[in-house]
Amino acid sequence: MSAEPVNYDQMIACPQCDGLSTKPLLKEGQKAVCKRCGGKVLERKRDPIRRTLAVALAGLLLLIPATILPLIGVSAVGLFNQASLLDCIAILIANDYYLIAISLTIFTLAVPVIRLLAALYISWCIRMQRITPALVHFFRSYHQLDSWTMLHVFLLGIMVSMYKLVALAELSVGLGLVAFILLLICSTLVSVTLDKHYIWEQLEAGCEY
Amino acid sequence: MNTNSQVKTARQAGLGQCLKCHKLNVITHKDQRCSCCQAKVSLRKYRSLEYTLAWTIAAIIAFFPANLYPIMIFTSLGTPEASTILSGIKTFIQLGMYPVALVVFIASFIVPLGKMLGLIILIITVKTGSKVDPKHRTQLYHLVEFLGPWSMLDVFVVALMAAVVNLGFITSIEAGPGISYFALMVIFTMFAAESFDPRLLWDNLDNDD
Repeated sequence: MSAEPVNYDQMIACPQCDGLSTKPLLKEGQKAVCKRCGGKVLERKRDPIRRTLAVALAGLLLLIPATILPLIGVSAVGLFNQASLLDCIAILIANDYYLIAISLTIFTLAVPVIRLLAALYISWCIRMQRITPALVHFFRSYHQLDSWTMLHVFLLGIMVSMYKLVALAELSVGLGLVAFILLLICSTLVSVTLDKHYIWEQLEAGCEY
Repeated sequence: MNTNSQVKTARQAGLGQCLKCHKLNVITHKDQRCSCCQAKVSLRKYRSLEYTLAWTIAAIIAFFPANLYPIMIFTSLGTPEASTILSGIKTFIQLGMYPVALVVFIASFIVPLGKMLGLIILIITVKTGSKVDPKHRTQLYHLVEFLGPWSMLDVFVVALMAAVVNLGFITSIEAGPGISYFALMVIFTMFAAESFDPRLLWDNLDNDD
Protein backbone atom coordinates (compact mmCIF):
# COMPACT_ATOMS: atom_id res chain seq x y z
CA MET A 1 0.00 0.00 0.00
CA SER A 2 1.47 3.33 -0.99
CA ALA A 3 1.67 5.80 1.87
CA GLU A 4 1.09 8.98 -0.09
CA PRO A 5 -0.43 11.79 1.90
CA VAL A 6 -3.72 11.93 0.00
CA ASN A 7 -6.71 13.63 1.44
CA TYR A 8 -9.15 11.05 0.27
CA ASP A 9 -12.19 13.01 1.36
CA GLN A 10 -11.52 15.20 -1.66
CA MET A 11 -11.31 12.20 -3.96
CA ILE A 12 -13.88 10.01 -5.65
CA ALA A 13 -13.51 6.68 -7.35
CA CYS A 14 -15.40 5.56 -10.42
CA PRO A 15 -17.86 2.82 -9.50
CA GLN A 16 -17.19 1.03 -12.80
CA CYS A 17 -13.43 1.04 -13.18
CA ASP A 18 -12.12 2.21 -9.80
CA GLY A 19 -10.23 5.15 -11.34
CA LEU A 20 -9.46 7.89 -8.83
CA SER A 21 -10.13 11.53 -9.46
CA THR A 22 -10.57 14.67 -7.40
CA LYS A 23 -14.11 15.44 -6.42
CA PRO A 24 -15.43 18.14 -8.75
CA LEU A 25 -17.63 20.92 -7.49
CA LEU A 26 -20.82 20.55 -9.44
CA LYS A 27 -23.70 22.93 -9.83
CA GLU A 28 -27.25 21.63 -9.78
CA GLY A 29 -28.00 19.73 -12.96
CA GLN A 30 -24.36 18.99 -13.81
CA LYS A 31 -22.66 15.62 -13.87
CA ALA A 32 -19.09 14.38 -13.97
CA VAL A 33 -17.80 11.47 -16.04
CA CYS A 34 -14.76 9.29 -15.45
CA LYS A 35 -11.79 10.19 -17.65
CA ARG A 36 -10.74 6.57 -17.77
CA CYS A 37 -13.89 4.66 -18.71
CA GLY A 38 -16.36 7.41 -19.51
CA GLY A 39 -18.92 6.26 -16.94
CA LYS A 40 -20.84 8.63 -14.71
CA VAL A 41 -19.00 9.34 -11.48
CA LEU A 42 -21.02 12.05 -9.83
CA GLU A 43 -24.22 13.89 -10.52
CA ARG A 44 -26.04 16.73 -8.83
CA LYS A 45 -29.70 16.80 -9.51
CA ARG A 46 -31.97 19.81 -9.47
CA ASP A 47 -34.08 20.40 -6.39
CA PRO A 48 -33.83 16.73 -5.34
CA ILE A 49 -35.67 16.77 -2.02
CA ARG A 50 -38.83 18.63 -2.93
CA ARG A 51 -39.25 16.87 -6.26
CA THR A 52 -38.80 13.45 -4.68
CA LEU A 53 -41.32 14.30 -1.98
CA ALA A 54 -43.91 15.28 -4.55
CA VAL A 55 -43.40 12.31 -6.85
CA ALA A 56 -43.22 9.71 -4.08
CA LEU A 57 -46.40 11.01 -2.47
CA ALA A 58 -48.23 10.93 -5.79
CA GLY A 59 -47.02 7.39 -6.37
CA LEU A 60 -48.25 6.19 -2.99
CA LEU A 61 -51.67 7.71 -3.58
CA LEU A 62 -51.91 5.93 -6.94
CA LEU A 63 -50.89 2.65 -5.46
CA ILE A 64 -54.29 1.77 -4.01
CA PRO A 65 -56.30 2.18 -7.23
CA ALA A 66 -53.52 0.52 -9.21
CA THR A 67 -53.67 -2.67 -7.16
CA ILE A 68 -57.37 -2.92 -6.35
CA LEU A 69 -59.07 -1.75 -9.54
CA PRO A 70 -59.23 -4.21 -12.46
CA LEU A 71 -56.48 -3.87 -15.03
CA ILE A 72 -58.08 -5.67 -17.95
CA GLY A 73 -61.16 -7.78 -18.52
CA VAL A 74 -62.40 -10.24 -21.12
CA SER A 75 -65.86 -11.22 -22.23
CA ALA A 76 -66.97 -14.05 -24.48
CA VAL A 77 -70.43 -15.50 -25.13
CA GLY A 78 -72.02 -13.42 -22.40
CA LEU A 79 -69.47 -14.30 -19.74
CA PHE A 80 -67.33 -11.56 -18.29
CA ASN A 81 -64.25 -11.67 -16.13
CA GLN A 82 -61.76 -9.05 -15.09
CA ALA A 83 -58.70 -9.07 -12.88
CA SER A 84 -56.71 -6.65 -10.79
CA LEU A 85 -53.15 -7.08 -9.62
CA LEU A 86 -54.40 -8.52 -6.33
CA ASP A 87 -56.64 -10.98 -8.20
CA CYS A 88 -53.64 -12.23 -10.15
CA ILE A 89 -51.77 -12.96 -6.95
CA ALA A 90 -54.83 -14.57 -5.32
CA ILE A 91 -55.43 -16.88 -8.28
CA LEU A 92 -51.79 -17.93 -8.41
CA ILE A 93 -51.95 -18.82 -4.71
CA ALA A 94 -55.21 -20.70 -5.24
CA ASN A 95 -53.56 -22.75 -7.99
CA ASP A 96 -50.53 -23.52 -5.82
CA TYR A 97 -48.05 -21.47 -7.84
CA TYR A 98 -46.48 -20.02 -4.73
CA LEU A 99 -43.14 -19.11 -6.27
CA ILE A 100 -44.77 -17.06 -9.01
CA ALA A 101 -47.18 -15.50 -6.53
CA ILE A 102 -44.29 -14.51 -4.29
CA SER A 103 -42.22 -13.06 -7.12
CA LEU A 104 -45.20 -11.13 -8.43
CA THR A 105 -45.92 -9.75 -4.96
CA ILE A 106 -42.32 -8.80 -4.34
CA PHE A 107 -41.46 -7.30 -7.71
CA THR A 108 -44.64 -5.45 -8.57
CA LEU A 109 -46.04 -4.65 -5.14
CA ALA A 110 -43.72 -4.90 -2.15
CA VAL A 111 -40.53 -3.46 -3.63
CA PRO A 112 -42.21 -0.49 -5.35
CA VAL A 113 -44.20 0.33 -2.20
CA ILE A 114 -41.19 0.13 0.09
CA ARG A 115 -39.17 2.15 -2.39
CA LEU A 116 -41.73 4.94 -2.59
CA LEU A 117 -42.20 4.97 1.19
CA ALA A 118 -38.46 5.04 1.73
CA ALA A 119 -37.94 7.87 -0.75
CA LEU A 120 -40.75 9.85 0.91
CA TYR A 121 -39.52 9.24 4.43
CA ILE A 122 -35.90 10.03 3.74
CA SER A 123 -36.69 13.21 1.81
CA TRP A 124 -39.03 14.35 4.53
CA CYS A 125 -36.45 13.71 7.25
CA ILE A 126 -33.78 15.65 5.37
CA ARG A 127 -36.16 18.49 4.69
CA MET A 128 -37.07 18.64 8.37
CA GLN A 129 -33.39 18.28 9.34
CA ARG A 130 -34.18 15.24 11.47
CA ILE A 131 -31.20 13.07 10.68
CA THR A 132 -30.62 10.08 12.94
CA PRO A 133 -28.10 7.23 12.70
CA ALA A 134 -30.97 4.85 11.98
CA LEU A 135 -31.67 6.79 8.81
CA VAL A 136 -28.23 5.83 7.51
CA HIS A 137 -29.03 2.13 7.75
CA PHE A 138 -32.42 2.78 6.30
CA PHE A 139 -31.10 4.57 3.24
CA ARG A 140 -28.41 1.96 2.75
CA SER A 141 -31.09 -0.70 2.32
CA TYR A 142 -32.81 1.53 -0.21
CA HIS A 143 -29.99 0.96 -2.70
CA GLN A 144 -30.85 -2.72 -2.93
CA LEU A 145 -34.35 -2.00 -4.17
CA ASP A 146 -33.63 -0.23 -7.44
CA SER A 147 -32.92 -3.25 -9.61
CA TRP A 148 -35.82 -5.28 -8.21
CA THR A 149 -38.71 -3.01 -9.17
CA MET A 150 -40.47 -4.51 -12.14
CA LEU A 151 -43.47 -2.29 -12.70
CA HIS A 152 -42.26 -1.50 -16.23
CA VAL A 153 -41.93 -5.17 -17.07
CA PHE A 154 -45.40 -5.84 -15.73
CA LEU A 155 -46.81 -3.10 -17.94
CA LEU A 156 -45.20 -4.69 -20.98
CA GLY A 157 -46.70 -7.97 -19.73
CA ILE A 158 -50.15 -6.36 -19.66
CA MET A 159 -49.65 -5.14 -23.21
CA VAL A 160 -48.52 -8.53 -24.49
CA SER A 161 -51.47 -10.20 -22.72
CA MET A 162 -53.87 -7.73 -24.32
CA TYR A 163 -52.42 -8.49 -27.71
CA LYS A 164 -52.83 -12.19 -27.06
CA LEU A 165 -56.38 -11.81 -25.80
CA VAL A 166 -57.65 -9.67 -28.65
CA ALA A 167 -57.77 -12.79 -30.82
CA LEU A 168 -59.51 -14.77 -28.13
CA ALA A 169 -62.27 -12.63 -26.69
CA GLU A 170 -63.65 -9.15 -26.35
CA LEU A 171 -61.25 -7.04 -24.36
CA SER A 172 -61.95 -4.22 -21.94
CA VAL A 173 -59.53 -1.93 -20.19
CA GLY A 174 -60.06 -1.16 -16.53
CA LEU A 175 -59.41 2.00 -14.58
CA GLY A 176 -56.70 0.13 -12.72
CA LEU A 177 -54.54 0.17 -15.83
CA VAL A 178 -54.60 3.97 -15.95
CA ALA A 179 -53.63 4.16 -12.28
CA PHE A 180 -50.95 1.54 -12.86
CA ILE A 181 -49.36 3.48 -15.72
CA LEU A 182 -49.33 6.65 -13.63
CA LEU A 183 -47.81 4.71 -10.73
CA LEU A 184 -45.11 3.43 -13.04
CA ILE A 185 -44.37 6.99 -14.15
CA CYS A 186 -44.09 8.14 -10.52
CA SER A 187 -41.90 5.20 -9.58
CA THR A 188 -39.56 5.90 -12.48
CA LEU A 189 -39.48 9.61 -11.70
CA VAL A 190 -38.35 8.85 -8.15
CA SER A 191 -35.12 7.36 -9.48
CA VAL A 192 -34.75 10.43 -11.70
CA THR A 193 -35.30 13.00 -8.97
CA LEU A 194 -33.71 11.30 -5.97
CA ASP A 195 -30.09 12.37 -5.64
CA LYS A 196 -28.24 9.64 -3.76
CA HIS A 197 -24.98 11.56 -3.52
CA TYR A 198 -26.73 14.58 -2.08
CA ILE A 199 -28.59 12.48 0.49
CA TRP A 200 -25.42 10.69 1.55
CA GLU A 201 -23.67 14.03 1.96
CA GLN A 202 -26.51 15.26 4.12
CA LEU A 203 -26.59 12.07 6.17
CA GLU A 204 -22.85 12.08 6.70
CA ALA A 205 -22.87 15.71 7.75
CA GLY A 206 -25.91 15.20 9.94
CA CYS A 207 -24.66 12.46 12.20
CA GLU A 208 -21.17 12.00 13.55
CA TYR A 209 -20.00 8.56 14.48
CA MET B 1 1.37 0.51 -21.87
CA ASN B 2 -2.15 1.67 -22.23
CA THR B 3 -2.98 5.34 -21.80
CA ASN B 4 -5.85 4.31 -19.59
CA SER B 5 -3.58 2.96 -16.91
CA GLN B 6 -2.11 6.38 -16.23
CA VAL B 7 -5.13 7.00 -14.08
CA LYS B 8 -4.42 5.86 -10.58
CA THR B 9 -7.03 3.54 -9.15
CA ALA B 10 -8.48 3.56 -5.70
CA ARG B 11 -7.08 0.09 -5.15
CA GLN B 12 -3.53 1.22 -5.88
CA ALA B 13 -4.00 3.92 -3.29
CA GLY B 14 -5.24 1.37 -0.78
CA LEU B 15 -8.73 2.81 -0.90
CA GLY B 16 -11.92 0.87 -1.20
CA GLN B 17 -15.01 2.53 -2.49
CA CYS B 18 -18.21 1.82 -0.65
CA LEU B 19 -20.69 0.40 -3.14
CA LYS B 20 -23.64 1.92 -1.34
CA CYS B 21 -22.69 5.52 -0.53
CA HIS B 22 -19.63 5.83 -2.80
CA LYS B 23 -17.39 7.00 0.01
CA LEU B 24 -13.72 6.07 -0.14
CA ASN B 25 -12.35 4.20 2.84
CA VAL B 26 -8.74 3.37 3.66
CA ILE B 27 -8.82 -0.41 3.74
CA THR B 28 -6.98 -1.70 6.78
CA HIS B 29 -8.53 -5.02 7.68
CA LYS B 30 -11.04 -7.61 6.58
CA ASP B 31 -14.75 -7.16 7.29
CA GLN B 32 -14.28 -3.43 7.46
CA ARG B 33 -17.32 -1.19 7.64
CA CYS B 34 -17.78 2.06 5.71
CA SER B 35 -17.20 5.13 7.84
CA CYS B 36 -20.22 6.85 6.32
CA CYS B 37 -22.95 4.25 5.93
CA GLN B 38 -21.65 1.24 7.89
CA ALA B 39 -21.94 -1.08 4.91
CA LYS B 40 -19.26 -3.74 4.42
CA VAL B 41 -16.49 -2.26 2.35
CA SER B 42 -13.54 -3.92 0.61
CA LEU B 43 -11.31 -3.34 -2.41
CA ARG B 44 -13.42 -5.61 -4.61
CA LYS B 45 -16.66 -7.46 -4.08
CA TYR B 46 -16.05 -10.54 -1.98
CA ARG B 47 -15.41 -13.64 -4.14
CA SER B 48 -17.15 -11.91 -7.01
CA LEU B 49 -16.20 -14.36 -9.76
CA GLU B 50 -17.06 -17.47 -7.75
CA TYR B 51 -20.49 -16.17 -6.83
CA THR B 52 -21.20 -14.99 -10.36
CA LEU B 53 -20.19 -18.34 -11.79
CA ALA B 54 -22.27 -20.25 -9.25
CA TRP B 55 -25.42 -18.23 -9.94
CA THR B 56 -24.86 -18.49 -13.69
CA ILE B 57 -24.57 -22.28 -13.50
CA ALA B 58 -27.76 -22.39 -11.44
CA ALA B 59 -29.49 -20.29 -14.10
CA ILE B 60 -28.29 -22.57 -16.89
CA ILE B 61 -29.66 -25.59 -15.03
CA ALA B 62 -33.04 -23.88 -14.57
CA PHE B 63 -33.07 -22.88 -18.24
CA PHE B 64 -33.82 -26.44 -19.40
CA PRO B 65 -36.95 -27.23 -17.37
CA ALA B 66 -38.10 -23.67 -18.05
CA ASN B 67 -38.12 -24.36 -21.77
CA LEU B 68 -39.16 -28.01 -21.75
CA TYR B 69 -42.14 -27.85 -19.39
CA PRO B 70 -45.30 -26.05 -20.48
CA ILE B 71 -45.62 -22.54 -19.10
CA MET B 72 -49.28 -22.17 -19.87
CA ILE B 73 -52.24 -24.55 -20.17
CA PHE B 74 -55.01 -23.22 -22.35
CA THR B 75 -58.36 -24.97 -22.03
CA SER B 76 -60.97 -24.40 -24.69
CA LEU B 77 -64.33 -26.20 -24.45
CA GLY B 78 -62.85 -28.76 -22.12
CA THR B 79 -59.81 -29.69 -24.21
CA PRO B 80 -56.57 -28.66 -22.53
CA GLU B 81 -53.63 -27.56 -24.64
CA ALA B 82 -50.22 -27.03 -23.06
CA SER B 83 -47.71 -24.65 -24.56
CA THR B 84 -44.06 -24.08 -23.83
CA ILE B 85 -42.24 -20.79 -24.40
CA LEU B 86 -41.13 -21.74 -27.90
CA SER B 87 -44.42 -23.32 -28.97
CA GLY B 88 -46.21 -20.18 -27.75
CA ILE B 89 -44.01 -18.10 -30.04
CA LYS B 90 -44.69 -20.51 -32.90
CA THR B 91 -48.42 -19.98 -32.41
CA PHE B 92 -47.93 -16.23 -32.65
CA ILE B 93 -46.05 -16.59 -35.91
CA GLN B 94 -48.74 -18.88 -37.31
CA LEU B 95 -51.38 -16.32 -36.37
CA GLY B 96 -49.36 -13.64 -38.11
CA MET B 97 -48.76 -11.64 -34.92
CA TYR B 98 -45.13 -10.91 -35.73
CA PRO B 99 -44.49 -7.93 -33.41
CA VAL B 100 -45.61 -9.83 -30.28
CA ALA B 101 -43.80 -12.93 -31.45
CA LEU B 102 -40.64 -10.88 -31.72
CA VAL B 103 -41.07 -9.17 -28.32
CA VAL B 104 -41.75 -12.46 -26.54
CA PHE B 105 -38.97 -14.26 -28.40
CA ILE B 106 -36.44 -11.58 -27.48
CA ALA B 107 -37.60 -11.13 -23.89
CA SER B 108 -38.01 -14.75 -22.94
CA PHE B 109 -35.50 -16.60 -25.08
CA ILE B 110 -32.75 -14.40 -26.52
CA VAL B 111 -32.33 -12.22 -23.42
CA PRO B 112 -31.92 -15.03 -20.86
CA LEU B 113 -29.55 -16.90 -23.17
CA GLY B 114 -27.62 -13.75 -23.97
CA LYS B 115 -27.39 -12.86 -20.31
CA MET B 116 -25.90 -16.20 -19.35
CA LEU B 117 -23.53 -16.09 -22.30
CA GLY B 118 -22.52 -12.52 -21.43
CA LEU B 119 -21.83 -13.44 -17.82
CA ILE B 120 -19.69 -16.39 -18.88
CA ILE B 121 -17.74 -14.17 -21.30
CA LEU B 122 -17.17 -11.64 -18.50
CA ILE B 123 -15.96 -14.33 -16.10
CA ILE B 124 -13.63 -15.87 -18.66
CA THR B 125 -12.12 -12.57 -19.77
CA VAL B 126 -11.40 -11.59 -16.17
CA LYS B 127 -9.95 -15.00 -15.37
CA THR B 128 -7.69 -15.15 -18.41
CA GLY B 129 -6.70 -11.49 -18.30
CA SER B 130 -8.08 -10.75 -21.75
CA LYS B 131 -6.84 -7.68 -23.60
CA VAL B 132 -10.24 -6.82 -25.07
CA ASP B 133 -10.95 -3.17 -24.31
CA PRO B 134 -12.45 -3.13 -20.81
CA LYS B 135 -14.68 -0.28 -21.91
CA HIS B 136 -16.57 -2.63 -24.20
CA ARG B 137 -16.73 -5.30 -21.55
CA THR B 138 -18.07 -2.79 -19.06
CA GLN B 139 -20.76 -1.93 -21.59
CA LEU B 140 -21.56 -5.64 -21.88
CA TYR B 141 -21.90 -5.82 -18.11
CA HIS B 142 -24.26 -2.85 -18.03
CA LEU B 143 -26.32 -4.44 -20.77
CA VAL B 144 -26.60 -7.68 -18.79
CA GLU B 145 -27.54 -5.70 -15.70
CA PHE B 146 -30.10 -3.61 -17.55
CA LEU B 147 -31.75 -6.57 -19.26
CA GLY B 148 -32.15 -8.43 -15.96
CA PRO B 149 -35.75 -7.69 -15.02
CA TRP B 150 -37.11 -7.69 -18.59
CA SER B 151 -37.02 -11.46 -18.80
CA MET B 152 -39.72 -11.59 -16.14
CA LEU B 153 -42.08 -10.54 -18.93
CA ASP B 154 -43.35 -14.03 -19.64
CA VAL B 155 -43.93 -14.74 -15.98
CA PHE B 156 -46.12 -11.68 -15.66
CA VAL B 157 -47.97 -12.43 -18.88
CA VAL B 158 -48.84 -15.92 -17.67
CA ALA B 159 -49.86 -14.64 -14.23
CA LEU B 160 -52.15 -12.04 -15.74
CA MET B 161 -53.63 -14.30 -18.40
CA ALA B 162 -54.37 -16.99 -15.82
CA ALA B 163 -56.25 -14.45 -13.72
CA VAL B 164 -58.15 -12.73 -16.53
CA VAL B 165 -59.04 -15.65 -18.78
CA ASN B 166 -61.20 -17.56 -16.39
CA LEU B 167 -64.50 -18.11 -18.17
CA GLY B 168 -65.15 -21.58 -16.79
CA PHE B 169 -65.81 -24.25 -19.40
CA ILE B 170 -65.60 -21.99 -22.46
CA THR B 171 -62.01 -20.83 -22.13
CA SER B 172 -59.60 -20.73 -19.25
CA ILE B 173 -55.87 -20.39 -18.90
CA GLU B 174 -53.77 -21.90 -16.15
CA ALA B 175 -50.10 -21.52 -15.38
CA GLY B 176 -47.84 -24.47 -16.13
CA PRO B 177 -44.89 -25.84 -14.12
CA GLY B 178 -42.33 -24.37 -16.53
CA ILE B 179 -43.09 -20.85 -15.40
CA SER B 180 -41.72 -21.47 -11.89
CA TYR B 181 -38.41 -22.65 -13.32
CA PHE B 182 -38.40 -19.71 -15.67
CA ALA B 183 -38.86 -17.24 -12.81
CA LEU B 184 -36.08 -18.98 -10.89
CA MET B 185 -33.78 -18.72 -13.88
CA VAL B 186 -34.39 -14.99 -14.21
CA ILE B 187 -33.82 -14.42 -10.50
CA PHE B 188 -30.59 -16.46 -10.62
CA THR B 189 -29.20 -14.43 -13.52
CA MET B 190 -30.07 -11.22 -11.67
CA PHE B 191 -28.16 -12.45 -8.62
CA ALA B 192 -25.27 -13.39 -10.89
CA ALA B 193 -25.14 -9.90 -12.40
CA GLU B 194 -25.32 -8.38 -8.93
CA SER B 195 -22.39 -10.45 -7.63
CA PHE B 196 -20.14 -9.43 -10.50
CA ASP B 197 -17.76 -6.56 -9.83
CA PRO B 198 -17.17 -4.51 -13.02
CA ARG B 199 -13.98 -3.07 -11.55
CA LEU B 200 -12.37 -6.48 -12.06
CA LEU B 201 -12.52 -5.83 -15.80
CA TRP B 202 -10.12 -2.94 -15.38
CA ASP B 203 -7.70 -4.57 -12.97
CA ASN B 204 -5.70 -6.29 -15.74
CA LEU B 205 -4.64 -2.87 -16.98
CA ASP B 206 -3.22 -1.93 -13.61
CA ASN B 207 -1.20 -5.12 -13.35
CA ASP B 208 0.66 -4.29 -16.55
CA ASP B 209 2.52 -1.41 -14.97
